[in-house]
Amino acid sequence: MNVVRIFLWPVVALSAANVWAQPSFTGPAPVPTVINDPSLRRAAFLERRDEVVNWRALLAKPGEPATVGLAEIAAKLARREDAALCSERLIELMKTPSGDMFWMFPVTCISYLGRDQLTPAAKAAVREAWRTYMPLRGDTENHWVMYYMSLYLMTQLYPDDQGESWFNGKSSVEISRESRAWLLDWMRITTTIGQGEYDATHYIGEYVISMLFLATWSQEPEMRQRGQMMLDYILADFAVDTLNGIYIGAHARTDDRQVLEKWNGLSSFFAWLFFGNCPPPAAYGGWGIYFAVVAQNYELPEVIYRIATDRDGPYTQFERKRTRHRWRNSDLRNAPVFKTTHVTADYAIGSDQGGLLQPIQQHSWDVTWAVPDPRGVHNTIFSVQPHYSTFELMMYFTEMPDYMPLTVTFQGKPTYTSDAKFLGGSPYEQIFQQDDALISLSDIPAGVNFEQINGFFSKDLTRLDEDDSGWIFVQGGRAYIAYRPLAPYEWRPLEVGGKRLYSPHRQNGTIVQVASESEFGSWDEFKTKMRALPLQITREPKPRVAFTTLRGKRVEFAYDAEPRVDGRTIDRAKQWKLFEGPYLNADVGSQRLTMTHGRLRRTLDFNTVTITDSVLPK
Amino acid sequence: MRIEPPSHSGVVVPWPARGRLARLHSSLSVWAVLGLAILSGRAAELKHDLYFCANLSGQKQVMGSRVTVPSGLYRSSDRQNVEHLGFSHIRLFSMTHDVRDPDTLFLATLDGVVRAKDRGRTWRIMTTWDMTEAKSIAFDPSAPEHVYAGLPDGIAVSHDRGQTWRRMQEGIRRSYTQAIAVDRTKAGRVLAGTEKGVYVTENGARTWTLVQPTAETVTDLQQSPHDPRVFFMATTKDGAFLSKNGGLKWERVAGVPTEHTLHNVDFDPKNPDRLVVCGWGTGVLVSEDGGKTWIDRTAGLPKREIWSVVVDPDLPDRLYAAPYLDAVHVSDDFGRTWRKLFFEQAIVFDMVFVPRQ
Repeated sequence: MNVVRIFLWPVVALSAANVWAQPSFTGPAPVPTVINDPSLRRAAFLERRDEVVNWRALLAKPGEPATVGLAEIAAKLARREDAALCSERLIELMKTPSGDMFWMFPVTCISYLGRDQLTPAAKAAVREAWRTYMPLRGDTENHWVMYYMSLYLMTQLYPDDQGESWFNGKSSVEISRESRAWLLDWMRITTTIGQGEYDATHYIGEYVISMLFLATWSQEPEMRQRGQMMLDYILADFAVDTLNGIYIGAHARTDDRQVLEKWNGLSSFFAWLFFGNCPPPAAYGGWGIYFAVVAQNYELPEVIYRIATDRDGPYTQFERKRTRHRWRNSDLRNAPVFKTTHVTADYAIGSDQGGLLQPIQQHSWDVTWAVPDPRGVHNTIFSVQPHYSTFELMMYFTEMPDYMPLTVTFQGKPTYTSDAKFLGGSPYEQIFQQDDALISLSDIPAGVNFEQINGFFSKDLTRLDEDDSGWIFVQGGRAYIAYRPLAPYEWRPLEVGGKRLYSPHRQNGTIVQVASESEFGSWDEFKTKMRALPLQITREPKPRVAFTTLRGKRVEFAYDAEPRVDGRTIDRAKQWKLFEGPYLNADVGSQRLTMTHGRLRRTLDFNTVTITDSVLPK
Repeated sequence: MRIEPPSHSGVVVPWPARGRLARLHSSLSVWAVLGLAILSGRAAELKHDLYFCANLSGQKQVMGSRVTVPSGLYRSSDRQNVEHLGFSHIRLFSMTHDVRDPDTLFLATLDGVVRAKDRGRTWRIMTTWDMTEAKSIAFDPSAPEHVYAGLPDGIAVSHDRGQTWRRMQEGIRRSYTQAIAVDRTKAGRVLAGTEKGVYVTENGARTWTLVQPTAETVTDLQQSPHDPRVFFMATTKDGAFLSKNGGLKWERVAGVPTEHTLHNVDFDPKNPDRLVVCGWGTGVLVSEDGGKTWIDRTAGLPKREIWSVVVDPDLPDRLYAAPYLDAVHVSDDFGRTWRKLFFEQAIVFDMVFVPRQ
């Protein structure tokens, strides 16, 4: 199963004493600013990149070989220093390879960085490891992109080698052809029906690192260009879904920590590196080093930079993604995912349509509010219908069913079977979002795990009023938030601070309306206006809500029915494009993404493998 | 198929002295001595090697983690020691051998179909990126160039002993395929156990016909070594079924529970009345009257979560059972008593006997 990852290795290996050397992690949070001068923007980017590489290189202590791991070797080779030491350690490390695709891409990186630095013996040790160690292909897309990118690039170094030279028994020509075919197929489905592990707060790293390597080291111009285009594609998708660098839900995958402390994950490393608008996470997110050592070979297009940092005002971005591969319990190999993200300067609210779109780590919706320094802050509110089942795991994994749920909890997802969890999708939750209002409905059968709703109420809320009207009014940062549970609830304390709204009713749900503090003369005015909004709630036999939002939209949403807005039925399957909004636009099936900001426009056309930049007339 | 059909080559190559011999379970010295004594007189009787497809890494090892104990393919030639073969691999699900060359094994793995030549030493992934996570694999003894692999998204067929593959699953709706059984009496007649039932092809997989719908996935499918018309299958929470007419008509087996996932079934090669079933929460169930009645033979095993069970074709009354995350246990009285034999914290996906000649 796609569970425990070794992405924590680089972090775990670090001692607290090393934190001091990460000035951007420990120093003041950056004040979000837009650097208009391209040369200054580039210089700031390279300065951040150097900070990562230098920090990592200095973790290697003279006379302490154990402090020199693959990441330190990569950093030193990037600085073109200590090649002899790197070679010696590499020879040692190649004696005990492990980590599958998480071993493959660092070793690929080192192989290229060290082409003109490593000793022949070190190169031979690396070469031998690819014969004697069999890394597994893995069982999910981030695994596969690392696996095939690594094989594609490594076979470039040994183009004439035969099958006996590689762990899989295939020749370099065969491996290269197969890897290329997989990469092209992944790019095709991503740009036609959407990314599978979309908007993943950690796994974005595995994709962009792989694409950077491809864009940097592919000898084939087409694959080099495609690598750059996919890098643009993923980073544009990321940029539009950020609020001061923080990745906004919904996510195909996140984790128990970052679902609450929205900043604290690898995605924020890339926001820091490219946008400069948030601090980097500790140890630069672990894998960040492998992007940093090659980062100078990529220049973020200005249009993406500005989408992330320079916004005219509130906007709504619609996106279509897809589920990862479904093996059982579904007639669809990849079901569509319909995302809506509404972003203002003070807050963002994002969602998918609910359901089981991804296993284990799905995060279907949340509100995120802007904070001056996100470190340690739980700047989010959301609810989940906590669910786990062998049905879910059989859908997305090909293994025997019964051992999977418990096994998952031993493999980096400790809350999977917990009724108090805040992570994961549910087949019994359906969601609709209109602007900055959201309705989540649940119709939970009796006897399933679990018959309840969990709402997350952060320690960092500055107000929390339980109103007689049934609304719970809260404030986070400059965001006023009205939260309406559909059924009775009680509060449960949380170890991490804040509290959990526990509502043990099967016909249930949540209504949320968000607004900016600046829209109202007072907190009371906000509450008064919310109380006055027309609202009808029916829970039996299935939940149904009719709500007129603060923006004047009448939303009718019933479980198992299409939503209606101002009397018009919303057919998401027909209406949702791959991207639609002020910044990103792409039609389903088009393989063509247009990024726009002001007069800047960049079009990625994967049909012709063409990047077109233009500046629109005034 | 737990007992591989006899090879056509008739050549047995001695195992080269390489690799490491896995230790017997550390707490088994007394049993080991006893077993040695028993087996010393029986060694000449052993006509099969016993192979294990095993993950020995415990509960925590998944893709991307560090290897602590080699997993994958193990073989016991003497029923006392096991030897690790080839690469470490935590998702080796099942195996067979080339019917014309018993030294060449074919493995159904996460990475696709792997050919392991030289009795497991030299591996090559035979399929490509679009045919992976193979669950089952079977040669057609009547058409020995033909190989069938059950995939989570269909069926792959090779007509050149695994060199090249193509998908052949026309007629199958939900294509998750856990089990493949080739009818040894007719070339090109194959049964496939899928998410929604048993399909049969009479024409080498060009077309498939649903012969027995099931509510849940078919997890195992075996042909009787005594009567080729008899097939036995297990499902995920839909019970077990027997067919006595070549898999065209099936009857649910009374006495085998439907509330648990059944993992595998097996026939006793020496006694046509004996059948065995295991599963998650099911323990080990045996029948000694051709499936009419069933007896729970789980007592003596450490848990009821049994991943696989198999009957030894060479040693009368001998069963092997693989409890989840535990040692492989052995019984010499057809499940009445058990003792630990191989490994410690193992998930044994499959146990297969390969004929020496």
